[in-house]
Amino acid sequence: MTSTDTLSITPQPTRLPIRFGQFLPLAPPSIMLIFIFAIPMGMMIALSFRGADGALLTLDNYQRFFSDDLMLAGLWRTALMSGLVAICVTVMAYPVAYYLARSTSRWRTVVFALAIAPELAGVVLRTYGWLVILEDHGAINSILIWSGMISEPLPLSKNLLGVVIGLTHVVLPFGILSLLTSIQGIDPNLERAAQILGASRLSIIRRIILPLSVPGIVSSLLIAFTMSASAYATPALLGGAGFKVLATMVYEQVLFYIDWPLAAVMAVLLLILMLTMTLAGTRAEARLQRKLHV
Amino acid sequence: MDRLLSFAFQLSLFLILAFIALPILVVLAASVSPTTTITFNPSEWTFQWFTALTASRWLDPFLLSIKLAAIVTALSGLLGFLAAYAVAYQKCPGHETIMAFLVSPLAVPQIVKGVAIVLFLSSSGFYSLLGTPGLVMAHIILTLPFVLRMIAGAMYNFDKRLDQAGRILGATAAQRIRFILLPIIKPGLFSGMTFAFILSFNNIPLSVFLVRPGETTLPITVINHMEYSLDPVLAAVNVASLAFILTAILVFEKIGGFSTQIHGGSK
Repeated sequence: MTSTDTLSITPQPTRLPIRFGQFLPLAPPSIMLIFIFAIPMGMMIALSFRGADGALLTLDNYQRFFSDDLMLAGLWRTALMSGLVAICVTVMAYPVAYYLARSTSRWRTVVFALAIAPELAGVVLRTYGWLVILEDHGAINSILIWSGMISEPLPLSKNLLGVVIGLTHVVLPFGILSLLTSIQGIDPNLERAAQILGASRLSIIRRIILPLSVPGIVSSLLIAFTMSASAYATPALLGGAGFKVLATMVYEQVLFYIDWPLAAVMAVLLLILMLTMTLAGTRAEARLQRKLHV
Repeated sequence: MDRLLSFAFQLSLFLILAFIALPILVVLAASVSPTTTITFNPSEWTFQWFTALTASRWLDPFLLSIKLAAIVTALSGLLGFLAAYAVAYQKCPGHETIMAFLVSPLAVPQIVKGVAIVLFLSSSGFYSLLGTPGLVMAHIILTLPFVLRMIAGAMYNFDKRLDQAGRILGATAAQRIRFILLPIIKPGLFSGMTFAFILSFNNIPLSVFLVRPGETTLPITVINHMEYSLDPVLAAVNVASLAFILTAILVFEKIGGFSTQIHGGSK
């Protein structure tokens, strides 16, 4: 790869001159990335601004999106669904992450494996499992009807509830991991000191652990929100035909309605939603981090 | 009060873990239950649904997914190694900027990447690339940043004096890569490739745009069926593909030996 292949025991100068050969290994991955990622992304963004009359720069497509009530409802539903999942994931991930950060018991490894391993199973398997549990003839409704508690099946799937349950399950391991990193960074001596000084468990949690783990809470909310907003399979299967979010609407525009400019608009909006959330989140996290360490 | 809190904590921990395990246990039970009614009684279990997997409607997508994941894993391992060699090992000029560019696809959600790639292929006359070639390329865009990061991580920690020793003893660059660099970064390389394999094999958001009739991956075939019925055969398909993933991980681990790395290097 380098030009100094032959035996040379003279010490190399610390600042090497720029050699073309150094960049050679970068060619295959970069070409791949430019042609299959950068150019397609650029074309898609350009397409979202192209008019039906051939104009290169118009907001017509965006206007079409924002003047359509169904589309706006989809956008609102995406935000609502992702927000609910973010809250559910963070609330459920917290006790698990706290246990994993502080426990020294031999069950710790078991809990860790249980919490993370489902990620290997893939979204399809888990969605199938939830459908079998939640659908009208599914496990929960069968048990409740059999026991006489209800006469009509409860609407557990093919709606927002089903999607939130399914997505929470998919995203939970990521929430646990981001909270775990944060809680592990809190000095356990702080808790011991507070305990010695007579603080109750509850006030230790409320006044030490929770405030110090706020950056972890923010990053858990953030990862859960962004993963949910761009999830496709779970809303498509657990939400049913009437449950439209940005990700499933994009799919329909590309493959059924073949309205590519509108599909491009939706993809760009999804991207903007994602990037602003990430940016706002990392900013908030950095600010909180600074506040805690002053 | 503290005892009550401790009890509530343990109870919530138990309930959350049960929530995590529940759908997976249900699928396992459904795959061996004789009827659509799920039974947890082992004496009733049957493997009849698994025999249906030999039919070509399941076997073909299964084989396509395996082929796809294998190609994607090999190529992203190779491309990731090349990129990491220039960026993390040789630290070429501007290596930080180049690294940021190479991992930039991570910032874009999969579904957006999928739309961009399908629109590009369809509108630029590359229509014939939809199907397997498009799937391979799209999956590599997804997996490359992860593989690159893991290999680069291993290369940043590489002790350059080993390479210098090899050079002094007269080894060529190719020999030094093969006998010094590769064995040392192998755990990083293989953990990256394992990750790529799982990501590709289970992928939905990219594949959903790029599959063609007759060239459909296993997850897409399953979700297409799931929209109409919850056939127990689907449970068997899911269990079989999970078993396949776990076997693949074990094989990768056997070759790459990266578990020491994951457990924090307790050699």
